[in-house]
Amino acid sequence: MKRSLLSLLAILALAAGLAAQSPAYNLKSPIASKPAFLSSAGQSADVEMVKVLLDRSKIPFKADAQAKAPALAASGAKTLVLAIGGSSKGLGAAGISAEAELERVKAVIAEAKRLGMKVIGLHVGGEARRGELSDKFILAALPACDYFIVVADGNKDGLFTKLCSERKIALDAVEKISKAGDPLAKAFK
Amino acid sequence: MAELDRSPARGETGIAPSPDGKEVIVKKVLASALAIVALALSPLAAQVPVNLHGRSADGANGVVAAAKPEASQVGVDILKKGGNAVDAAIATAFALGVLEPNASGVGGGGFMIIKLANMKEAVVVDFRECAPAASTPDMYKFDEKGKVIDNATFEGGLSVGVPGEVKGLLYAFDKFGSKKLSRAQVLQPAIDYAEKGYKVTVNLEQIIKDNFEKLKKFENGGAIYFDGGLPYELGATIKNPDYAKTLKAVAAKGADAIYKGEIAKAIVDEVRKRGGILSLEDLANYQVKERKPVVGTYRGYTIMSVPPASSGGTHLVELLNIMENFDLAKTGEGTPATGHLWAEAMKLVFADRSKYMADTDFVQVPLKGLASKAYAKELAALIAADKSMPSATAGDPSKYESGSTTHLSVMDKAGNMVAITKSINYFFGSGVVVPGWGIIMNDHMDDFVPKPGSANSVEPGKRPLSSMSPTLVLDPKGRSFMTLGSPGATRIFPTVAQVISNIVDHGMSVQEAILAPRYFQMASGKLNVEGRVPINTYNALGPLGHELALKLDWDAYFGGVHAVLYDYDAKMLRGGADPRRDGQAAAY
Repeated sequence: MKRSLLSLLAILALAAGLAAQSPAYNLKSPIASKPAFLSSAGQSADVEMVKVLLDRSKIPFKADAQAKAPALAASGAKTLVLAIGGSSKGLGAAGISAEAELERVKAVIAEAKRLGMKVIGLHVGGEARRGELSDKFILAALPACDYFIVVADGNKDGLFTKLCSERKIALDAVEKISKAGDPLAKAFK
Repeated sequence: MAELDRSPARGETGIAPSPDGKEVIVKKVLASALAIVALALSPLAAQVPVNLHGRSADGANGVVAAAKPEASQVGVDILKKGGNAVDAAIATAFALGVLEPNASGVGGGGFMIIKLANMKEAVVVDFRECAPAASTPDMYKFDEKGKVIDNATFEGGLSVGVPGEVKGLLYAFDKFGSKKLSRAQVLQPAIDYAEKGYKVTVNLEQIIKDNFEKLKKFENGGAIYFDGGLPYELGATIKNPDYAKTLKAVAAKGADAIYKGEIAKAIVDEVRKRGGILSLEDLANYQVKERKPVVGTYRGYTIMSVPPASSGGTHLVELLNIMENFDLAKTGEGTPATGHLWAEAMKLVFADRSKYMADTDFVQVPLKGLASKAYAKELAALIAADKSMPSATAGDPSKYESGSTTHLSVMDKAGNMVAITKSINYFFGSGVVVPGWGIIMNDHMDDFVPKPGSANSVEPGKRPLSSMSPTLVLDPKGRSFMTLGSPGATRIFPTVAQVISNIVDHGMSVQEAILAPRYFQMASGKLNVEGRVPINTYNALGPLGHELALKLDWDAYFGGVHAVLYDYDAKMLRGGADPRRDGQAAAY
């Protein structure tokens, strides 16, 4: 029993140490090839934050928040990265309706699949970037993703866990936006 | 599909089972322990509910209630040093410009109401921004859809009004302060926070994220509020040494530091670089206005608030006058009948607001009529107990006003009362940030009607219409009773009225009155109901004809009330603060 307790303590210490050093991600090996193409699903400002994450991760990419499907082939990108989250302000600024944006996103995803691109989804807006509008884009885009990263605050209701679990999509949750860059970088070969 | 993790936390320890089962038990224990450890270490375990505890504070000597706990403490420390309520309010106000930079600061303006115990009447200090001299009623251009091109009323240089904050705060400090403390002493805490930094709260983190595009577009803001290109997040420390330099200049030279010379030139240069029309003359010529308060009564309590260019005080009195015609103590707290009465009364008041209100220096406003009991009685007679009126006006403006404002309240044991509401308008104002000085410029030009022909159209030197309502209350014996106010744009005076009613009609403590769920209704459109309104009330309001918009349980949309009340029975000052934002009172 004493040995068991000692083993338990050792494992606990090891677990704590590992957690402090390097987060263990659910995605165990890289799936995506460079370069990437970044677009928005919902026209929120989150796409700007994902740009910063890609820059920091030194992943070459082109970005167009309002890209149409043909832009993917022309870009030569191997991976589609989607910053998912609806913003009525962003949609208004882009001059498009939520319905039109949904159609655009679906077309972009379909084209990515046709081109054999991997799709990585990110939801970095947290709880504030949830709700009826954002959830439309999550539900439309997430099932097509090969990997998903969510800022944990946005997954309080377990929506991302449920959707990813049902579809066997690797999901990693991070505490903060700034911590989303690490799993994103590790997703690329 | 991607490779999925099969981590120990999911139940596999790698220990082989033994025939006697002991290892199996150990395996289960270890697995459980590891699962607990994983949960504890995981950020996913972090939950950030609205914290209702510790918002209020009671003290025998003085209480400060503000939108940040650190700012409230700044005010209390000034009281401890021998300052009066005005000194404390000014120090708190400058500190809020650092600690709540999205809401107010040197680049903004506001209103203050002061009643020292030895003053017969309260006085209003109006330091609201005014339109630059080069402004015109048709200065904003519209696209074919009728939208202002480039959001110029609320983003960029053309949205910037002449700021009044520093002149206003120092005017009050010089005239009504105790004279026991120097200007440098009341500014030093704000300077310290700007230099040493302050922690990002859940609230501030979200505000920075929500305004990411604006801060990025006007890169000087991003340089302060981003960490390597991403928003500062919870627990991070933000410093603004440039703003500290600005405040040091104010401490050394007074208001001239901002309105003349090097900083004035930097402000003008940056505003004009971003498309604005602000000039050095505009800054040099800015004038603080001392005004008489709007005064009314509510069930024997005297209500004193601000006159135009804020509509808030007048309509606060009008709203309370209407509600006085109904026995709210009898209709009850949180009932459908009471909610219905508030909604109907607000419709009537907002109809008047859209028709009459503007800067009285430029436009005749029937202030006495709007605040009269007889007029309120006429309006109250229009309210049917069993039916909602569809609209109280044919042409209700749907203009949006930002809720990014702040309010602070101070009362000391002598009964000196101060209430300040100040703002840079939208979160992070116009987005224009003065390089080298860390000042965020307001976008209060957005509070004008951006076309000619309205009482509230742009005119040079005119102050745009506001809803700010810093308010003081005397009890039926004429004693200092309460100081309160709120941010929240058009929701401000309805929120202040509901808090007053909660205390006077429903006998709530100041903190209970602040916590209670709120209603908001414009002259037409949906009745906005805070999420915690009793379900039976919610269900009963629809059949009365109200179209309901259910807001969050604790929704910053309804403002953030900070109030101090004198409990004469207990000989205790009681401060209340709002969890809908980062409010917390401090006392001693």
